[in-house]
Amino acid sequence: MKLKNSIEKLDAYFERLESGKAQKIDPDHVSKMIRKLTKKREGLMAELFETIKPSKKERLVQKCATLDAQIERARWLLDQIG
Amino acid sequence: MMKKLLLPVILGLLVFGFWISPDFQEIAAGVAIFLFGMLMLEDGFKLFSGGCLERALEMATGSITRALGFGAIATTIMQSSSLVSVITISFLSAGLIPLLAGVGIIFGANIGTTTGAWLVAGFGLKVKISAYALPILAISIVLVFQRSKYLRGAGYVLAGLGFLFLGIHHMKEGFEAFKDQFDLTRLAMTGVLGLVVYTLTGAAATVVMQSSHATMVLIITALAAGQISYENALALAIGANIGTTVTAIIGALTANFQGKRLALAHLMFNVLTAGVALVFIGQIRLAVDAISGFVGISATDYALKLAVFHTAFNVLGVVLILPFIHRLVTFLEQVIVQPAEDLSRPKYLSEAVDEFPQTIQIAMRREVHHLYENAVELIVHGLNLHRSELFETKDIAATVRASRAPVDFDIDALYEHRVKTLYSAIIEFATRVGSKDIPAKPMDDVYLMRDVAGQIVHAVKSIKHMRRNATHFTQKPQGVITDLYNGLRTEIARILVEIRKLDEADPEDRSSLWLDQERIQVETDARNTNKTVDHLIRDHHLSASMATSFLNDSSYAYSAMRDLLDAARAYYIDTEDAMAEVERILTLDEDDLQDLAKDTPKSSTKAPRAPARKTRTTQ
Repeated sequence: MKLKNSIEKLDAYFERLESGKAQKIDPDHVSKMIRKLTKKREGLMAELFETIKPSKKERLVQKCATLDAQIERARWLLDQIG
Repeated sequence: MMKKLLLPVILGLLVFGFWISPDFQEIAAGVAIFLFGMLMLEDGFKLFSGGCLERALEMATGSITRALGFGAIATTIMQSSSLVSVITISFLSAGLIPLLAGVGIIFGANIGTTTGAWLVAGFGLKVKISAYALPILAISIVLVFQRSKYLRGAGYVLAGLGFLFLGIHHMKEGFEAFKDQFDLTRLAMTGVLGLVVYTLTGAAATVVMQSSHATMVLIITALAAGQISYENALALAIGANIGTTVTAIIGALTANFQGKRLALAHLMFNVLTAGVALVFIGQIRLAVDAISGFVGISATDYALKLAVFHTAFNVLGVVLILPFIHRLVTFLEQVIVQPAEDLSRPKYLSEAVDEFPQTIQIAMRREVHHLYENAVELIVHGLNLHRSELFETKDIAATVRASRAPVDFDIDALYEHRVKTLYSAIIEFATRVGSKDIPAKPMDDVYLMRDVAGQIVHAVKSIKHMRRNATHFTQKPQGVITDLYNGLRTEIARILVEIRKLDEADPEDRSSLWLDQERIQVETDARNTNKTVDHLIRDHHLSASMATSFLNDSSYAYSAMRDLLDAARAYYIDTEDAMAEVERILTLDEDDLQDLAKDTPKSSTKAPRAPARKTRTTQ
């Protein structure tokens, strides 16, 4: 997943943080988000195993892929603020 | 009529009093300064709301003991049972605390308010209280002019205390001087008549001053100056307890049924307590003498003994009623019945929630959720689906295909009745609280929720526009066009199901990021629609007029989907600021979505099946 926009949003966040208009993100916050996304992914994987209909399987696979990308972004964010 | 007469009578009595005695002026001014101090104290504590006060109140709902403790401690600190009552009614009306906890808090507040008598009798009369009042007032005014909300709040609280002290000082001085001219003890009454007359006088004085605290201070200072007998002072104190329920009743007038139940509980408690105190006044007096002797209060210190009496009979009331509190709550629920739910009326936005940032914020969020539930009903029925089937099915597409019978309802009438009226109430509420001095953060959330409501309403309007064709082309199979419309219905249904999953998930587990895949899907499908339709026209599977209808309706459908997703993302974004920042950084923005929609291959689920026959129907 492309990071260009996330980098811009992170820069904007740091600017707001410096001017006191944003609350500081701690690594714990990002870790919590990774946990939430991972848990959702686990739920989708369980649903995928039970699913027979190909179109539904395809949808679930796409959802998992999006979650994977979000988890990847979250790990990048963790590195940036850690 | 009574209301109209009351003001001129009170003013007339005041003027008459001023005319016959200059010392009465000092007493009246003392009461006025004291009441002004209480108002400042309440305003000061209100500036602290939006934080610890609300958190403490929410924690107080855990058990009856906690609720009682909160009521007692909060009233002791704020020296205002009225403020605690108003906060409790506000929280109850917003659905933030259950009735049982509200009743517990009010009972606790009745005990807490007795500390005022202790402060006046034990401190106010024993030291030169005015010596503290003036420096406190001087310091407070410096704080009142600070920009920080909390420093201003502290300033108002200090100013309130300063004025309370000053008021007590003037009442004390006034009674001391007054006794040289008039001997009010000549009006003393003994026996049952004395009890009844002075109880009614105490209640009337509290109704007029809207503060049992002020009445108690007046009684104590008059008692200390020897202007009323101890026996009559006890009856006045009992009357003050009855009179104070008027504040709660006035507060409940603008509250919902829960607020009214609380006001009734308050009234019942105070009347019962007063009744017990009047019937057993002899025994309670003996108990007060015993307690006073035990804690070392002199037998002739009637002011402190009155404070003991005030606490004793309120504690007695709580002890008597506490074992029956669950029955009392059941009784209240039976007497003041919850009105039959009218989906077209706001459930949470009453004037009773206007006072405090947190109740405003929560009530607004709940009302928007109420609007969403109404909107979902219209959207689902508008697409000829049923919520029970949709939210339980494992195969949304199959359920949509099977739901062909039109749902017989007037979508325009229901839109006006269940969506537009609520939206109007939400807009009106946001505008009304926007004109108050509400901190920026909760106010931003109120405006955000107003915008969410706008998106929900917009989604319903889009469904209204596409309903006629969607019904026409899906109630019986008509080939490709039926598949195309079923595709749109399915996608909207999927989004509603995903939002429902988000709503039902534990807030600790869920994230608005869950909806990003649906957003990608919507943009991918919207992007591919024109191509799909082009192919179908070229291959003679779709007439141009059908294609036009479908393209118009798909535009409404995708608009509804985007509105629903954007509304849900805004509504379910984490309530903790830092977590919300994380979600905002990680979520896909418009550019990301368009890029991904470009890269994502057309989903096989979108391709309409090969037509069995060429259809001629147009709409």
